[in-house]
Amino acid sequence: MTGLKLGLGALLTATALATTVSAAGAAELRMSWWGGDSRHEATQAALKVCGEKHGHTIKPEFTGWSGHLEKVTTQIAGGTEADIMQINWPWLPLFSSNGEGFADLKELSGVIELDNWTDAQLDSTSVNGHINGLPVSTTGRVFFFNKTTFDKAGVPLPATWDELFAAAQQIREKLGEEYYPLNAIKETAALLVSLYTTQQTGKDLIDPATVTVAWTPEELAAGIEVYGKMMESGVTMTQQEANAAGNANLYEKPEWTDGRIAGSYEWDSTYFKFSDPLQEGQNLVPVKILTGEGAQTEGIYRKPSMMFSISKRSENKEAAAQILNCLLNEPEGIEALGTTRGLPASKAASGQLKAAGSIKPELADANAIIMAASGPTVSPLNEHPDVRSIFLDTLEEYAYGQIDANAAAEQIIDGVNEAIEEYRP
Amino acid sequence: MGGDNKYLGYLYVAPYVAGLLLFTAFPFAASFYLSFTDYDLLSTPRWTGLDNYHKLFTRDRTFDKSLKVTLLYVFMTVPIKLAFALLIAVILNYRLKAINFFRTAYYVPSILGGSIAIAVLWRYIFAQSGLVNMIIGLVGLEPINWFGDPQNALITITLLRCWQFGSAMVIFLAALQSVDKSLYEAASIDGANQWHLFRYITLPLITPVIFFNLIMQTVQAFQEFNGPYIITEGGPLKSTYLLPLYIYEKAFKSFDMGYASAIAWVLFAIIMILTLAAFWSSKKWVYYAGDKRS
Repeated sequence: MTGLKLGLGALLTATALATTVSAAGAAELRMSWWGGDSRHEATQAALKVCGEKHGHTIKPEFTGWSGHLEKVTTQIAGGTEADIMQINWPWLPLFSSNGEGFADLKELSGVIELDNWTDAQLDSTSVNGHINGLPVSTTGRVFFFNKTTFDKAGVPLPATWDELFAAAQQIREKLGEEYYPLNAIKETAALLVSLYTTQQTGKDLIDPATVTVAWTPEELAAGIEVYGKMMESGVTMTQQEANAAGNANLYEKPEWTDGRIAGSYEWDSTYFKFSDPLQEGQNLVPVKILTGEGAQTEGIYRKPSMMFSISKRSENKEAAAQILNCLLNEPEGIEALGTTRGLPASKAASGQLKAAGSIKPELADANAIIMAASGPTVSPLNEHPDVRSIFLDTLEEYAYGQIDANAAAEQIIDGVNEAIEEYRP
Repeated sequence: MGGDNKYLGYLYVAPYVAGLLLFTAFPFAASFYLSFTDYDLLSTPRWTGLDNYHKLFTRDRTFDKSLKVTLLYVFMTVPIKLAFALLIAVILNYRLKAINFFRTAYYVPSILGGSIAIAVLWRYIFAQSGLVNMIIGLVGLEPINWFGDPQNALITITLLRCWQFGSAMVIFLAALQSVDKSLYEAASIDGANQWHLFRYITLPLITPVIFFNLIMQTVQAFQEFNGPYIITEGGPLKSTYLLPLYIYEKAFKSFDMGYASAIAWVLFAIIMILTLAAFWSSKKWVYYAGDKRS
């Protein structure tokens, strides 16, 4: 009888263990992210190797940047979000104002090697003590210029705003009126205006103490006028010209791929999204933040990049945590992902990629520029959807000659102050 | 139906009724309630009474602009599309060679037209260096800035909608084929020419179908989203910013679901008023079989 009991006990234990292993092994997960082709390919490869390693199946759900916030919002509101999500840092207050919008990764610290991040890094993605995501990298806006076009015109890459204006004139004289040294439309135009104004004032758009616009109308109007001068002098296309392509991404435009638009101001981590589509022989290089006379700071727009979060509703949080850890901290995932999301913030990933020499020099250079540059702390409210839309709509009105720079500045300041009213202490 | 089968009919319609209640009636009622609240999708709705509607009609410049653009779009699209669909239907009503091929070919765009791929294709066709400007260039004209000029952008979106005339055309075609041929013969004997036949026989007899297409196309035009979202994102200067885009952006970009619901209900009211006006006017111009008017 005792033998029978032991046998049954052993059988039950074995069955229970088998069930546990099978449940973990059979987990079917979903992961969503945005990005360009190089990121899509690398992430799918990483999910394959990590899935095989931990015995899970992960369904990839990827899109371009445009529309991704809306997709994630709809999914979260409907409770159908992916188990693992790539979340933009400024979205944190939107989805998790009390810290309970995502799974608390502290509770999964047995699976995720959290010591690969500093406390400061984890604090930046935590709300009310809950770790809502793992920082993937630190990112910032940096200038990329098509050196091939500049060389063809015999013009050196610019280091100051004045040199940029001079370069535009020389490039257009030598290569033709269809050449522009810089792209500036929509979000990029808004961030260029912000960059110039931040440099001149030494302040971010949002004053963190009062949660109001830190710039005076005169200061902002000066930044807007520089943008106007860029369009007038052929540094950038006018918005009318740029809009002629419809709602197309810069890297999809023939003018970008063949070097007629010879630069942009983009996230350092997106280097390959912009360099990959270039035609054979075109060389895109990251360049230090342009500055000018009277600048109090380089005005770098630097922030924690996207983070990886786990859905609080996921039925397989541990399995998701295993995959997350594999993507960011384990050799197979690190190798497959490479630098498609910028230089990794995880010590393990950064060390492995540096040792293997897999950090491409352009990406390292771009990241070094943003890490070394000076500037005030950037508020996540800069990327609040309403703040961004007020900035973009008003700049468009200015670019189309509907209002002047002073009226545009007043309109932006009033609109932004209204949009961020609810976040005031 | 009696005995054990008394409830069988209810059973048959139950799946449809359940779907209607769950996916149409409930969201419909919920959005009406939400239009009186401040709701960010992720937390509990907060009752704000008529605040959303008050803001909409007194302080929202974007709504004013979007409403004007939407009305302009509908009043341009619907007549052009109906006229074109009727013209093609009349042509395809003749016994031509390979007529079935042409009927299919003209219908295909209405199946494809709402898709994302066609919207992307449209963006390439009307781009500065696109097909349309290439053709214009062949006849020696300057290229047109279709998307960058606020005057032209809405036209390109309108053309996409008009290009999808197939479903209206098929309905017109069916109506044209149902017109009694003896009426044409009688009129021809009395000396009527082709225009007289069309104007005084065909047109009056197909007015119920014209009315049906008018209502359907008007409602669909008010709901247009894919074209402007993919092709111009509502720009430039909000010249293609139709109300469905505004509803979408308020709901899913600004997370202002209450305000978005209020806009949706205003849009619903506009569609309802125009539909009722069309029904009222139909008494004067739509002729049904057995109609006693002369």
